Amino acid sequence: MFDLKMPLTDALAVSLIGIVTVIFILAVIAGLIILVSKAIRGIEAAADKKKPVVAENVASAPSGVPMPEGMNQGELELVGTDEKTAAIIMAIVSDKSGIPLNRLSFKSIKLMEDK
Amino acid sequence: MEMIKDVLIGLWESSGFYALFADGTFLWQNLVMIIVAFVLLYFAIAKKCEPLLLVPIAFGILLANLPGAGLMDDPTGLMDTSNLIEGAHWYDSGVLRLIYAGVKSSIFPCIIFLGIGCMTDFGPLLSNPMSLLLGAAAQLGIYVAFVIAILLGFEPNEAASIAIIGGADGPTAIFLTGKLASHLLGPIAVAAYSYMALIPFIQPPIMKALTTEKERKVEMKQLRKVSKTEKIIFPVVVLVICAFILPSVAPLLGFLMLGNLFKECGVVDRLSDTAQNALMNIVTIMLGLTVGATTNGQTFLQWGTIKIVVLGLVAFAFSTVGGLLLGKLLYVITGGKVNPLIGAAGVSAVPMAARVAQNEGRKYNPANFLLMHAMGPNVAGVIGSAVAAGFLLAMFGGK
Repeated sequence: MFDLKMPLTDALAVSLIGIVTVIFILAVIAGLIILVSKAIRGIEAAADKKKPVVAENVASAPSGVPMPEGMNQGELELVGTDEKTAAIIMAIVSDKSGIPLNRLSFKSIKLMEDK
Repeated sequence: MEMIKDVLIGLWESSGFYALFADGTFLWQNLVMIIVAFVLLYFAIAKKCEPLLLVPIAFGILLANLPGAGLMDDPTGLMDTSNLIEGAHWYDSGVLRLIYAGVKSSIFPCIIFLGIGCMTDFGPLLSNPMSLLLGAAAQLGIYVAFVIAILLGFEPNEAASIAIIGGADGPTAIFLTGKLASHLLGPIAVAAYSYMALIPFIQPPIMKALTTEKERKVEMKQLRKVSKTEKIIFPVVVLVICAFILPSVAPLLGFLMLGNLFKECGVVDRLSDTAQNALMNIVTIMLGLTVGATTNGQTFLQWGTIKIVVLGLVAFAFSTVGGLLLGKLLYVITGGKVNPLIGAAGVSAVPMAARVAQNEGRKYNPANFLLMHAMGPNVAGVIGSAVAAGFLLAMFGGK
């Protein structure tokens, strides 16, 4: 009935070995990821413990606390930027740098034009 | 007067209209393919169906089927020795054939993988390594389609090339087909990219059929944050492990992981930017154009093409089934903590398949947010399909 260029049993064997190979390799990678992740997290945790002062400072940094009275927050110059965009930019800078917003001082946010 | 007549006859005989009836045979297939090109251009431009790929592919189809234009000629037999012209030079004609060397030599698929690597965030996979198993299970369709293709009478190397459509990864399909059965490159590439665009229509009915409403409503807990060090080490470790076990995966995975290292290491931003933007765009143009140009009417319009298109759909469907079934198994093993829908995203096709899982999940639980959970199996599928291609290349690459 069929004009097969490869015996069906061979085709089934290739398929079975193929899917097992893919699963095996990806399972090995999954195992390695778990091991490497644990090792890295362990190393990073150990490194963090060696720097207690820095860690304490970061942890105790007040976030969202208003500036002390009498301290000048300064003026922020917006050039080609609306207030909403400026607020988003300041939040991103704060998040990425790990510095609370009340400790950051922005002087100007300017839209750069393509030249 | 005689001269004018000769010029006019010469013009007529060099025209495409004359070439349509060359050797007394009407080349109707070329006309059909030109119409197909117009239809694809319409879908790409008017309906915005994968336009970045479909526009160059459709235009490649158009160019390759213009009678007498000879854009895919190979006068010196660089790749095809069937139409040798004595005394010809490799650069005499066939500009698209020359560019096609980038496909044939695997340069283009590898560079596309470099760009994909630069754009891929393996974070969701690193925070949930179980995703890799879903990415592996979703390669099931490749092996089911391989057996069916053998039953339909295809040669093993052809069957392997057709089956890889189930990996839902265009560059991988082109890479493997270029190595194993380059005469099938046109239909396989067109089928692979068409089905990738059709994933939002192919997968949902299968998802609905294989999962219960309770399973589809499962909310998964938030993924842990992955450190930069983990992200940097990952591409190097994966490449070394995979290439040691299966060296034939090294070209694709090597470029994928190099691109990812560019992205994650943070010290080569310029290279990362070039690889994922300028370089990727240049190669996409050349790849799309030349893949389209392989669909010459005489060789494309055959029953074999229809078989390939049907087998591609079977491969896609079974890959989805494989991912979903493992997802259901994990749902049971974890006591209902895994939503099986994310298994369907293991079919690669980044990020379309993950978006489908997200959309289907939200249909049944509007508060559900599966996208990042589905991205894990989704990028694992890229690795899985590359490994599957490497396996098939190791099996049939020597023939």
